Amino acid sequence: MHLRIKDGVTLDLLPTKQFKTVGIKVDFVTPLRATAITARALLAQVLETSTATYPTQTALARQLSAMYGANFGITVLKAGTQHIVRLTCSVVDEQYLSSYADQQPLFERGMALLKAVLFAPLLPNGHFDPTTFTQQRQNLLTAIKSLDDDKQYLANRRLQELLFAGQPTQAMSALGDITTLGELTADDILTTYHEMLAHDAVHVAVIGDVTAQRAQTALATWPLTARSVHDTLPYYHWEARPTVQVGDDVAPVTQAKLNLAYRIPVYRNDADFMATVVFNAVFGGTPLSLLFTNVREKASLAYYASSSYSPYTGTISVQTGIQTQNQQRVLAIIAEQLATLQRGDLQSDLLAEIKASLANARLTVLDSPQRLLDGRLNAQLTHVTTSLADWQAALAAVTVADIQRVARQVTLQATYCLHGGEH
Amino acid sequence: MLTQQAYDRLGETVYRTTLANGLQVVLVPKAGFHKTFAIMTTDYGSIDNHFVPRGQQAAVRFPDGIAHFLEHKLFEKKDHDAFDLFGKYGASSNAFTSFTQTSYLFATTSQLHANLDILLDFVQDPYFTPETVNKEKGIIGQEIQMYDDDPGWQSYFGMIGNLYPKEPLSIDIAGTVASIDQITADDLYAAYRTFYHPSNMSLVLVGQLDPAETLDWITANQAKKTFAPASPLQRIASPVTAPDQVVAQTTRYLAVTRPKVSLGIRGYDAVPAGRAGLRYNVALSLVFDLLFNDTSDNYLRLYDANVIDDSFGYDFLVQRGAHFGQLAGDTDHPELFVSELQAILADVMPQLQAAQPQFELVKREAIGRLIGAVNSVEAIANQYSGPLFAGSTLFDELTILEDLQFADLLPLAQAFFTQGRQTVATILPEGLRNR
Repeated sequence: MHLRIKDGVTLDLLPTKQFKTVGIKVDFVTPLRATAITARALLAQVLETSTATYPTQTALARQLSAMYGANFGITVLKAGTQHIVRLTCSVVDEQYLSSYADQQPLFERGMALLKAVLFAPLLPNGHFDPTTFTQQRQNLLTAIKSLDDDKQYLANRRLQELLFAGQPTQAMSALGDITTLGELTADDILTTYHEMLAHDAVHVAVIGDVTAQRAQTALATWPLTARSVHDTLPYYHWEARPTVQVGDDVAPVTQAKLNLAYRIPVYRNDADFMATVVFNAVFGGTPLSLLFTNVREKASLAYYASSSYSPYTGTISVQTGIQTQNQQRVLAIIAEQLATLQRGDLQSDLLAEIKASLANARLTVLDSPQRLLDGRLNAQLTHVTTSLADWQAALAAVTVADIQRVARQVTLQATYCLHGGEH
Repeated sequence: MLTQQAYDRLGETVYRTTLANGLQVVLVPKAGFHKTFAIMTTDYGSIDNHFVPRGQQAAVRFPDGIAHFLEHKLFEKKDHDAFDLFGKYGASSNAFTSFTQTSYLFATTSQLHANLDILLDFVQDPYFTPETVNKEKGIIGQEIQMYDDDPGWQSYFGMIGNLYPKEPLSIDIAGTVASIDQITADDLYAAYRTFYHPSNMSLVLVGQLDPAETLDWITANQAKKTFAPASPLQRIASPVTAPDQVVAQTTRYLAVTRPKVSLGIRGYDAVPAGRAGLRYNVALSLVFDLLFNDTSDNYLRLYDANVIDDSFGYDFLVQRGAHFGQLAGDTDHPELFVSELQAILADVMPQLQAAQPQFELVKREAIGRLIGAVNSVEAIANQYSGPLFAGSTLFDELTILEDLQFADLLPLAQAFFTQGRQTVATILPEGLRNR
C-alpha cells in the first residue's frame, strides 16, 4: 500500500504476519552535492547519539533495551545522483512476548522514538550540544580513517576515485571526506539539519502486522511540512574515457587487490536493464559466473573474483584478491571472459542456471523484512515498480543475443591494484 | 517417528528424529516463507587434528587446516562439482569450518527434494585425488593470505593464541600455507572416514517444508547407502595450558590506522554438560552485557573519556573443550583501554552487583534479539547446538533466558572470573614501531 501523506512525504505499508518484528524505515532523500555529503554524514552520527529526552548514548541505549532491544540506527548512503539519510527502527511484535505491561504497543513506541530523534534532538540553547558534536565529529573521523584498514574496501575506494576523477559527487564515499569534516562546526550541522527536515523528500515504510490506520496515526503526529521535491531520477550519466585509467599503490598487504571498473550505459529504467542484470550474473555476479569459474576454479589464481552492477551509475566493477606477479594473467583472463560474451559465446545451460539463481535470489528477498523495506526506496527513486510476475517474465525472456548486445556496450575504464610492491 | 515440540507463543514447532544410521535430523517449518535453508554439520573442526583414524589402532597427527581443506574438497567429484549441481536448480550453496564443526549448506526456493539429495550425496560420497588436492592449495593459499591482510582477524587470533598457546585452538582455522602444502588425498580420506559417519553428524532444515515429507526424502536417500557401524571417536586432547602459562600480553605491528586491542579471558571453571551448558552460556553472556554493553555506566564513562568508541565490542564463546570472553576495540589510548578494562575485571563482582538495576533491561534486550532472530531461517538453523548443548535450538535458548534471574548469574560469574586468566593482544600501526 502506497500513500502520499502530503507533498514530498510518502508512506509505504507492507502488512504481513510472516515476521515476529515490525520494521520502520525513514529515508530523507536529496540530490547529491559534494559540499553537503560530509555534513549529512556527521548530522546522522550526531542525531543517532542522543535526544533531548535521552541526552546521553547510555540513556538512549537504555530506552532501546527497555523496548526489548529495539534495533535503531541511522546510516547514510548514495544512490546514483541522490544522497540518503536513513533511519531504521525494528521492534519485536509484543504478541510474541511472554509478558508485556506497557500500555503502548512497541510499534507506536518505535515511531515515537524516531520522532524524538528527528524532531527533538539534544539542542541546548538551540545548538547541538558542543561536547556531543566534537566527540561525534572525532568518532566519524576515526571511523572513516579506519575504513582504510579494510584493504578490499580501500582498493574499491581508490578505484572509484580513479574512475570518477573530477566528478567529486561520484568519487566521494557516502561518509564524505575528512578535510571537510575537520572544518565542520555545530552551526553547519544545524543548518544541514533544518534543510534536511524542511526540503528533503521523505519516504517512510513500515513492515509487519500493523494496520494502515495505526501507521498513519503514528506518522500524523510528526511535524513534517509539505515540501516541493525536485523529482529528478537518480541516474548518473557520464562520458566514456578515451583511455583506460590505470592506478596502483604500494601498501603492506600480503595479497594484491586488483579491481576493475567498466562503463555500461544501461540504467534501471532502460529496456536492457534485465539483460544487464543477467550479463553481470554471468560475467562475475554469482559463484557460477565466468570470473569465478575461470579465475578461481580453473586457474586457482584467486580466492575471490566477482563483479557487481550499479544500475544508478551505469558501472560494473570487478574485485579480485591475487598474487601481484599474476596480475597480467588475471587481467588477460578477465578480458577474455568479456570477449567471450561479446562474441555471444554462452552455453544455454549456464544461462538457464544463472537465471534460476537470480529467480531464487529474488524470492529470497521476500523472507527478509529489511530487504523488503530497502526495496521500497528503489521504487521511490526510479518510479519503476515491477510485480513479481513481470519480473519473472522479463528474466525468462533474456536471450544470449540480449546478453551479447549488453556485453558489446561494456567498456573497460579503469584498473587499480593495491599491492605489496614486490615487483 | 518424528517427535515434536511446540513453542505456542511463538507459533513455531521443532520436529526431530535420529535415523537408524545415527544421523540427527531437525526440521522447523516456517509458515509464509519462500526459502528453505538446509545445513549438514559434522562435529569436526580445526582443533581436531590429532586422533585415531577409524579402523586404525594408533593416533596420527594431521597437518593444520585439514578440516577446512576437506570442506573445500568435498564439493569436487570425479566428473562434476556439487556446487554446479545446486546451481542447476538455482540454489545457492556454501560451507564453512569453525574450531569444532564443519557445515555444508544450501538455500533454495524450489526443488527442495532434488537439492536435499545433492547435499546428502555430495557430503556422503568423498572423492579425493592427488591432482585435485594439489590444485586446491593455490585457492586456499589465497584465502589464508586474505585473512593475513585482515587486522580484525589478526587481532582475534592474537588473543586466542595467547590464551591457548600450543593448543590447536591457537592455529588459524585454515592452517598455514606451509601446513596445507603437506596435506594429501590419503589424509583427507582418513579424516573423512573418522568424522563424517552419520552418527557424528546432524541435518537441520528450516523454512518452507513439510516435516513428514522431508523426513521421507531423507530416509529414502539414506536407505540407499551403507555405513560402517558407528564406533567411538578417539580424539587425542592436547595438553591443557597451565593457568600460569597463559601469555599475559603481546604486541604486533601491522598496517592499521589506529591501535587495536583485544583483551581475552580464558575460563578455567567447568562448563556443565548438556543443556546446563547452554544455561551457563546464556548467563555469562548476560554478565558481559551487564558489565560492558552500551547501557552500562562503565561504557558511558569510558566512551566520554575517549578510551572506547563505537568500535568497542565484546563476546562470550563456549566451544567444545574451551570457553573464553573477549573485549575488543580500536582506540587511540591502548594503555588506558587495557588498564580501565582490567580495573573493572579486578573488581568484577562488586561491579556486577552495581549493575543489577540494569538486569531487566539487559534481559529484555536479549529476549528481543532472540525473537527477532526467529525471522531468519539461517539464524534458527545455525543456532542448533549439535552435541555441544545436547541438541538445543534457539527456542530453548529463549526459554532459558526468560527463566534466568539476576541471582543465577552470580555464582557462575564468580567461578569464571576468579579462576579465569587474562591476556591482552595489541596491534599497533607500523609507524609507531620506532617510537
